[in-house]
Amino acid sequence: MSGIHFGHNHTPYAPEFRPTAGVRVPFAWLAPEWKLAVMLTLVVGTAVMPLAWWYWHVGAGVLLLTVALSGRVALKPLLWRVLWLLPFVAGAALAAVWHGPTGPGWPTVAARGGLCLLTVLIFAAVTPFGALPGVLRRIGVPALLVTTMALMHRYLFVLVDESDRMRRARTCRTFTPKRRFGWGVNAEVIGRLFVRASERAERIYLAMCARGWK
Amino acid sequence: MEMTTPALAVDKLAYRYPDGTVALCDVGFQIAAGECVGLLGPNGSGKSTLLLHLNGILPDKPGSAGTVSVQGELIATANLETIRRQVGLMFQDPDDQLFCATVEEDVAFGPSQLGLPKEVVAERVRSALAQVGLTGYERRTPYHLSQGEKRRACLAGVLACEPSILVLDEPTSGLDPRGRREFMALLREVPATKLIATHDLEMVVEMCPRSIILDGGKVVADGSTMELLDNEELMLAHGLERPHSLHHLRIDEPFFWKPPQQPGR
Repeated sequence: MSGIHFGHNHTPYAPEFRPTAGVRVPFAWLAPEWKLAVMLTLVVGTAVMPLAWWYWHVGAGVLLLTVALSGRVALKPLLWRVLWLLPFVAGAALAAVWHGPTGPGWPTVAARGGLCLLTVLIFAAVTPFGALPGVLRRIGVPALLVTTMALMHRYLFVLVDESDRMRRARTCRTFTPKRRFGWGVNAEVIGRLFVRASERAERIYLAMCARGWK
Repeated sequence: MEMTTPALAVDKLAYRYPDGTVALCDVGFQIAAGECVGLLGPNGSGKSTLLLHLNGILPDKPGSAGTVSVQGELIATANLETIRRQVGLMFQDPDDQLFCATVEEDVAFGPSQLGLPKEVVAERVRSALAQVGLTGYERRTPYHLSQGEKRRACLAGVLACEPSILVLDEPTSGLDPRGRREFMALLREVPATKLIATHDLEMVVEMCPRSIILDGGKVVADGSTMELLDNEELMLAHGLERPHSLHHLRIDEPFFWKPPQQPGR
């Protein structure tokens, strides 16, 4: 099965954010720098253009749809993720009820926010994360920030795997109804995970020092 | 007999953790160039702490005593770069050591830190990956490698710095029998001085003519692997056990495998 797929049932995190290993990259001919530039232009443009300039928004929408279809990005999960915007749209609608139509109305928030979110999601789907640190370094983002981001990406999945193992181990020995002790146990697992992450960070630092990190 | 400079010399080394726990106490030994030595001991005996001292990572703060010399040079803040170039340290958990996004970047990390030109770094990466049999894995992410491949990638990262001394912490833990055997074969081919901290006593029997037993932060025995590991009383007293292979052989038997002559000993 080809294409980029979102939201696999058995993974708690999206495959497109996972480290890429031999995965087909849509639009591989386009340098990640250009993908980043197009993404930023679309996001900033959509955020600042008045809605009266409808041809910008329609154009952006058509471009995104074309990219998503030709890049074979799975559309259903993509649209599900756009629903993350719902609380903000609801907030704008509630604010309008309270204060009257002084700020941007909920249709504006929905349209602009939806387009911006779609742009970022499609960019993430067609750009391997591994290419980003190099791009950010080349455009002058501070090296420490880029290194921190790359390390976070590298170890996010190790941590998620670790939390999965802890969850499984906990489930194996859970004999009481979930509702009674669920929160307490969850808090304990999160705390334990935090401690393990700190210990791992210390070991990673030592491993970096061992190979000459200055 | 002419005295040769040992590759590694540890003298009266002591270390106490910030919480006051004594990790190492009066540890001393020497390892000649080309030797392959096993470092044995129960969990918590101070093996990993000792290994961190050999690369100059510990002590990071006052609280330690004693000295460590590498090729006759005392480890000090001023010469840490030279020391880390000479001593390659492989950590117990490959996920701690493979911190870059791709295998290629990770193997290139050490040589880049040495300030080598890009072409030299690329050549070292190519050569190290070929040495460990991971040619073609350059763009792979460490997250997707098997445990055995991760170990080999770690070794490539260390070898790319061209160290003269290899210090390995539990190199075969978590490996399946084939991965373990392949990794041991790889290690045998590396012509560096080796100190291997491990619980894999069968590997020690096969690879290390000499062993050092550490317990409670102290060196409790240092000598021929066969003699130490065949001493059941000593093994049991220090949380170890006589390897299975030695149950079937007696070291005084004429057909028993004899360890190769150690250089400089």
